Amino acid sequence: MAAPVISVQDVGIRFKRNRQRSRSFKDLFADRERRAAPDTFWALRHVSFDVQPGEAIGVVGRNGQGKSTLLKLVAEVMLPDEGAVNVRRGVAPLIEITGGFVDDLSVRDNVYLSAGLHGKRKAQIDAEFDEIIEFAELKDFVNTPYKHLSSGMKVRAAFSVVSRMDEPILLVDEVLAVGDRAFRNKCYARIEQMLAEGRTLFFVSHNDGDLKRFCSRGLYLDKGALQFDGGIDEAFQRYTADYGK
Amino acid sequence: MAPRGAPDRPPLEPTPRLDVTSARPTATNGTPLTAAVTASPSLAPSKPTGYWGRYRHALWLLTTRDLKVRYTTSALGYLWSIIDPLLMAAIYWVVFTFVFPHRGAGKEPYIVFMLIALLPWTWFSGNISDATRAFRQEAKLIRSVKIPRSIWVLRQICSKGIEFLISLPVIAFFALITLKAPVLETVVYLPLALVLQVVLTVGLNFIIAPLSVFLRDLERIVKLVTRLLFYAAPVLYSLRFGNPVLHFLYGLDPVVGFLELYRACFFPDVLDWLYVLQSAITSLILFAIGAVVFRRSVPRVLKEI
Repeated sequence: MAAPVISVQDVGIRFKRNRQRSRSFKDLFADRERRAAPDTFWALRHVSFDVQPGEAIGVVGRNGQGKSTLLKLVAEVMLPDEGAVNVRRGVAPLIEITGGFVDDLSVRDNVYLSAGLHGKRKAQIDAEFDEIIEFAELKDFVNTPYKHLSSGMKVRAAFSVVSRMDEPILLVDEVLAVGDRAFRNKCYARIEQMLAEGRTLFFVSHNDGDLKRFCSRGLYLDKGALQFDGGIDEAFQRYTADYGK
Repeated sequence: MAPRGAPDRPPLEPTPRLDVTSARPTATNGTPLTAAVTASPSLAPSKPTGYWGRYRHALWLLTTRDLKVRYTTSALGYLWSIIDPLLMAAIYWVVFTFVFPHRGAGKEPYIVFMLIALLPWTWFSGNISDATRAFRQEAKLIRSVKIPRSIWVLRQICSKGIEFLISLPVIAFFALITLKAPVLETVVYLPLALVLQVVLTVGLNFIIAPLSVFLRDLERIVKLVTRLLFYAAPVLYSLRFGNPVLHFLYGLDPVVGFLELYRACFFPDVLDWLYVLQSAITSLILFAIGAVVFRRSVPRVLKEI
């Protein structure tokens, strides 16, 4: 077996149950053991798995069982309290994809900004700019301030930028729920094309159809733990067995 | 922690996969190639940019974004960077030249004396209060893009610093009309002043930015403290203490050192090396504390926003 591109080892992360609780300065400097944490809970704990290059993994589970948190840990925009997440390749995160877009700047400026923040050089963006705009179907809005776009257009612009990244790992979180059907189909086609190129996919969704369409392996998360790791169909069977339809 | 020095980008190879749909090719001959590429991920050619290249790239993008937003959303654009300090200077100049004539607290020409400290002060205090919003303002972006977290603090210092630099012509203008020439021997201290200020600002912001995610009150506290500090620091005046204890205590305020260094460009006799030394030490200590606080609090900041 080749070396895994993502390896998650005994990862745990906990959150405060009561977000309003005031913190003391002392807390911040207290060491891990001594820090009293009465009202915290483990969103995920003792989660371990490896992802081989080219695998397509779907994460299954109810709301609030840590699916998006797991994705954020893999994207390394959140850091675990326990264990380690190792991501050995570049990542294209399709998480809150419109997050990097600035309302007051034009679509053009935003494309350069967002692609640049994901590590692209200006010359590279120059070369791809027309394709990005074409895919997003925003030819007539290149110089429009981003805030004047409709919400569907915003997502189109963002997806178009992020999905052009030639990183070998693709993380997708529910982004496909937005946008009209025509664009969604285009997104599917793009993701399928990227999978065909041998990219690794890590996919969180509530849509069974989407998961079964793209993924071959399923992770079933429940009660903050990884309950099942195996074929996607079996993962769904476990999920259905626990919670019915 | 993942070793994330230089993110590799090896070529993409088609790999065999268990297909659910038939849309994807199931190349069977891809295995040895893929194995060869992935077996040594750390040896794979790194991106031409490297870690620091990427760091600088992202920092520059966010800095220019800040400036772009500031200048494209207002009709007067760049002029605002000058109008603000000009108005402040006009007010203090009228107050301290005509209403309460300064007696020995400042030097002539007072407008130059004050501006050379007021502009750096504006940069400094602006950054300190910006730092309270460094993470919250960018929450969406921080949740979606993985770039080194210190960029969220540093980009504010960079954009405010650029605004400071482009407002310097205001001083040149007043120096010209009052015929006050900078002193060549002390202008060489200008870079030192800049370095001192940046070290102090970075250190303080590394403390303030993460803490204000947890303690909302910090925003108010910082506002009050900077206002107090404005009058306690040698911005509108320059003091000489006869009492050595007072003299020492005053120098513990780390802004004193860099403000006096700036001022020495035009008024070399205000420079007191004890102040500079004290400020340098305090700034370095604060920087070290800031680095530790920042490092330790980042995981919690990421959870909170």
